[in-house]
Amino acid sequence: MIRIKDPKLRKVLRIVVPFILIPLTVWLGVFVFNEKQYAWISIACVILALLLFYASFDKRIVGTRRLVIIAVMTALSVVGRSVFALIPMFKPITAIVVITAIWIGPESGFLVGSLSAVISNFQFGQGPWTPFQMFAWGMIGLLAGYLSKPLKKSRVALAVYGAFAGVAYSFIMDIWTVLWYGEGFSWELYLAALATAVPYTVGYAVSNVIFLLVLGRPFGEKLEMVKLKYGV
Amino acid sequence: MKSFKDYNPIAIFLYYALAVIPAMFCSNPVIMSISMVCAVLFRLVKDGPAACKKMWFFLIFPFAGMIVNPIFIHKGVTTLFFINNSPITLEAVMYGLTMGIMIFATIAWFTSFSSIMTTDKLLYIFGSVSPKIALILSMALRYIPLYGQQIKKIRQAQQVVGLYKEDNAIDKIRGGMRIFSVMVSWALENGIITADSMTARGYGVGRRSRFAIFSWKKQDFMLLAASMLLGGITILGIAAGHMGYEWYPQIAAPKAGLLTICTYIAYALLALIPSYLQLKEDSRWRSLQSEI
Repeated sequence: MIRIKDPKLRKVLRIVVPFILIPLTVWLGVFVFNEKQYAWISIACVILALLLFYASFDKRIVGTRRLVIIAVMTALSVVGRSVFALIPMFKPITAIVVITAIWIGPESGFLVGSLSAVISNFQFGQGPWTPFQMFAWGMIGLLAGYLSKPLKKSRVALAVYGAFAGVAYSFIMDIWTVLWYGEGFSWELYLAALATAVPYTVGYAVSNVIFLLVLGRPFGEKLEMVKLKYGV
Repeated sequence: MKSFKDYNPIAIFLYYALAVIPAMFCSNPVIMSISMVCAVLFRLVKDGPAACKKMWFFLIFPFAGMIVNPIFIHKGVTTLFFINNSPITLEAVMYGLTMGIMIFATIAWFTSFSSIMTTDKLLYIFGSVSPKIALILSMALRYIPLYGQQIKKIRQAQQVVGLYKEDNAIDKIRGGMRIFSVMVSWALENGIITADSMTARGYGVGRRSRFAIFSWKKQDFMLLAASMLLGGITILGIAAGHMGYEWYPQIAAPKAGLLTICTYIAYALLALIPSYLQLKEDSRWRSLQSEI
């Protein structure tokens, strides 16, 4: 790994990378490659955002226990898929991401979401969509972490967030579908893609709600217990 | 000497990025055809025709594109025939075909990418961004089979106790949930034990280093340089704007200038690199074997 020793330079880089690199990519994509390069621009931006997040996480001092818990939750979300493999569209990944985010923190939620996407794609095939999935699940986790207070309190809010996460996942992934078609972004195509995905969207939303309602409490209690008992 | 899959993962990763991106995002049928032919060729050279059986199914995309696009898009001046009073145009057919080729080529590249980029290599790439993330990933990857075994044990224990019903879906889900819940408690406790064990052995003391079995040799740098150079020429050619096709209302190829031809050649050479390395290694292997 290339390690920059000078702390000042590191600080500068941390500011320069997001504020210059991302706009620069967009600019390059739009003006230099003036063909329809939207998909490429969006992939580049998503990858940069992920890199940024990972790099900032690497700098932070994180307890060993928390680190392992993140790995455990990631593995659980992938394994959960195989427990319920018999029932189509019934996957606990989103639910586990949300639960982790609520009880352990937004950052952990982002990590569990994005890493589960990479790992489960070892089974289902990596592709240009992998960064998008990582981003989509990561953001669902991050947001849940920021909303942890109301989500912890009421089950209704949790169910609503589950449904929202299912829909949001579809919405984010369909942006990719439209860009992938190579004609640039058009609302008509986007709406058409959303319309064809309705059964899946509903399936995701329903399974998220069920999982969050059923798993939310017991899972949360377990995490709470681990936090109390071991002080994560 | 090494075959393509034994090069440094970062070099391979960059190679794939440079080979796939122009083919994905430049609406130029020549580039896309080169990309498709070379991707399929590499698959054939690497795994033999038997392993590529699954891939042939995806040939449906070029045909589907040829049929579906003209049904929805009626732009273009060269009408072939009419269906329900709407014109089917040559331009729309050709555009659909090109898009289908693009999708097929990308899928072909990604199937070989998936078979080359095994988990250890991907971990290496992640590790160069963040060793901590790589650690989490590798722990999670280890836990997955462990949890699979644990689930089996829990399921058997539950069955012995008599807690199983598989008559209807709700019971199935309930059973699954119960097993999952037991699993989660065990996993969390087990994780804490792992963490404590790590701390006891000095994790977190000092800077985290990492071990990688992959090294940078002269050949890796050569692959990197070759793909950067050829990919750079291709991207420059596309950026200079001499590659784009106009599809509607009439197909207009870009003027065949020097830059256009250079771009085609550069991209073709770039796309042939893995097949070349693989063939070279295979022939060397055979000649070494024949000398025994």
